[in-house]
Amino acid sequence: MARPSSQGEGWAGLCLCLDSADVCHGKRMNAKNLIDRRSFVKMAGAAWVAALGSRGAFALERTDAVFASAFMAPDGSYGVATLTEEGEIVDRTLLPARAHGMAFSPVSHRAVAFARRPGTYAMIFACDGTAKPVIITAAEGRHFFGHGCFSADGRLLYATENDFAANRGMVGIYDGGQDFARIGEFPTYGIGPHDMTLSADGSTLAIANGGIETHPDFGRAKLNLDHMEPSLTLVDTATGALIEKHALPPDLRQLSTRHVDIGADGRIWFGCQYEGARDDLPPLVGHFAKGEALAFVALPERTTLALANYVGAIAVNRHEELVGLTSPKGNIAVTLDARTGRVLKEERIVEAAGVAAAEHGFAVSSYDGYFKQHRSPVAWDQHIVRLSAG
Amino acid sequence: MRLALPLALGLLLFVAVAAPAPAQEGGALLPRVVDEAAVPGVMAKAVDGFILPGYRNLAETTKALSEATAALCKAPSAASLEAARSAFSGVVQSWSAIEIIRLGPALEQNRFERFLFYPDRKSTGLKQVQAILAKGDESATQAETLKAKSVAVQGLGALEYALYGTGAETLSGKQGDFRCRYGLAISENLDTIAGELLAEWDKPDGIQAAWKQPGPGNPLFRDNKEAATELLGVLVHGVEMVKDQRLRPFYAGAVDGKRDPGHPRLAIYWRSVNTMPSVSTNFRALQKLFDTAGMESLLPADSRSIAGSINFLFKALINAADRINGPIDAALADERQRSTLDFIALNTADLTDRLNRDFGGAIGLGAGFSFADGD
Repeated sequence: MARPSSQGEGWAGLCLCLDSADVCHGKRMNAKNLIDRRSFVKMAGAAWVAALGSRGAFALERTDAVFASAFMAPDGSYGVATLTEEGEIVDRTLLPARAHGMAFSPVSHRAVAFARRPGTYAMIFACDGTAKPVIITAAEGRHFFGHGCFSADGRLLYATENDFAANRGMVGIYDGGQDFARIGEFPTYGIGPHDMTLSADGSTLAIANGGIETHPDFGRAKLNLDHMEPSLTLVDTATGALIEKHALPPDLRQLSTRHVDIGADGRIWFGCQYEGARDDLPPLVGHFAKGEALAFVALPERTTLALANYVGAIAVNRHEELVGLTSPKGNIAVTLDARTGRVLKEERIVEAAGVAAAEHGFAVSSYDGYFKQHRSPVAWDQHIVRLSAG
Repeated sequence: MRLALPLALGLLLFVAVAAPAPAQEGGALLPRVVDEAAVPGVMAKAVDGFILPGYRNLAETTKALSEATAALCKAPSAASLEAARSAFSGVVQSWSAIEIIRLGPALEQNRFERFLFYPDRKSTGLKQVQAILAKGDESATQAETLKAKSVAVQGLGALEYALYGTGAETLSGKQGDFRCRYGLAISENLDTIAGELLAEWDKPDGIQAAWKQPGPGNPLFRDNKEAATELLGVLVHGVEMVKDQRLRPFYAGAVDGKRDPGHPRLAIYWRSVNTMPSVSTNFRALQKLFDTAGMESLLPADSRSIAGSINFLFKALINAADRINGPIDAALADERQRSTLDFIALNTADLTDRLNRDFGGAIGLGAGFSFADGD
């Protein structure tokens, strides 16, 4: 992978816990990490690892860094960047393969970027600069789906994973107190989980099981479009037990539930991607609270058409009680009133990608480099994480 | 003036983004837009010149395979076994020429996995096939009941084991009766699947109509950009498939500065010595789709050289794949042939970039081309 140079925008060398002689979180690497290193090097390529070079810290800790998002650079390389409230890049760092979803813990000040499905790595950054980035690789027989979140106390990392031999979704559990060693897993109680979010008290994961079967042997091919099983599940983080499962009704069997966010009131909002006929007009966004049935938002037909049957990302602005949706296929960002579901704003944004709560409304990025009003020479990936509480 | 143009367009784009504007108006201001007039013709040529002939050829070869296998079971001999094996290789070729179409009917009813289950990483499929042969499971000798079994025991991989695996020599005599009838059921299953694929694409008002006329009311593509995205996706995913799912399972290249010794028994079709002929046909098929559909015509006049680079890479890859002859274990033991595999791996990565970024960007699909596929 080409090593960036003289970009003038603070390309930072990464400090990785990859070397057996290295020290990570004050501990020597154990045998598990050595195996991880080999598989990581195999995937990333020795040249990439060698090119990590100097040991500058990725500037997640800078106070003006408000957002983070994955990107693709013009030379085809991939990375993660932090951005200001206005959407200017603060710092960026390279990754060995395309990253997708990110998460942040306001307690531990760590952020994570997950490889895009069927990804095999995730990189955890310490936002306060106290620890080096840690790479975790998927366990044998598992791959990442590209999303996850931290536990309420910031110690654990949960990742949506594929047990592809059994075609069942799993949540992998990684312990930040042990260099993010994988300490367990529990089912998502569905097929093809994608995004998930955590209740404020940390007791419940809300998981979007997209219902689409994939297998690494078939790349990204969707293997069961004629018999999908989308669902939303609530899972107890203490026991891994299923609390409730909402399978989509038979007439919406091809509506893949993919992204979720949670409101201040604990209400879960979900965005969908429709795999059925392109000229159908399925509901694309909905919400539910624990103990309630799923409710879909009745969007105006014009808005449904504009979203092109594809909600790429969803975010809740908890202070203003707003829900933001983006569609890169429809080139649009939509803002809803979380109390009524009414459309408050539709904004045409070419290849609208990520969405995250901003001070007011939402920050929206695009594949062609826009982040709010600011354009950078990168293609932003489909998700943005806000590096602060709430 | 030439230099000033992109900047001016960039400013216009900025305005389009900053201020909400109707979809068509904003799209028209992009520096690279999809050639609306050219797309339907390209899609039609892809269907009529590549997909339909490909499935027709597949159906013909699976029919020939069923007949050759039936003849083998009826009159087992060294000659009829050779004829059945030859018909098998014929299906490997015709499948390798159309398997890049991993969409629509191929993904319904698990047809794709049923036709070819690969790679069989933990030999699960192999063990299942061996169990059927050891037990003489009669339910595996009827295509109708075989269909309901594991995808790993009803496709090309299973049939290759029946025709070439341990004990296959019994097929030339009466003691191979059960094995032959199992092989026949697989052949008939493949013929049924191939017939379904052709029938689905052949329906005048079916998927081919959707491919040829993108627009509102179309069940697949609301506009030409969506159609062009799907077509280019076939090429990009096809090249990725060869790299990640055909070559990498048996040869990973250099890892940690050391060259992977290779895993010849994980190579696709190694028993029938069809590994590299299949890979070569994959590349030929991709190039044929690119050329037959006239995808070059989607490029603006100032970017036509991209098509030249793509064709150059296709040719280099086909030549390289054809240079690796004979059993794959011998090829992996040969330094020169492994270098050729390295060359193929390197150039497939380059070709993916050319198609994805250079071609996709030039025809107006932008980075969004491959970014939004189902995440």
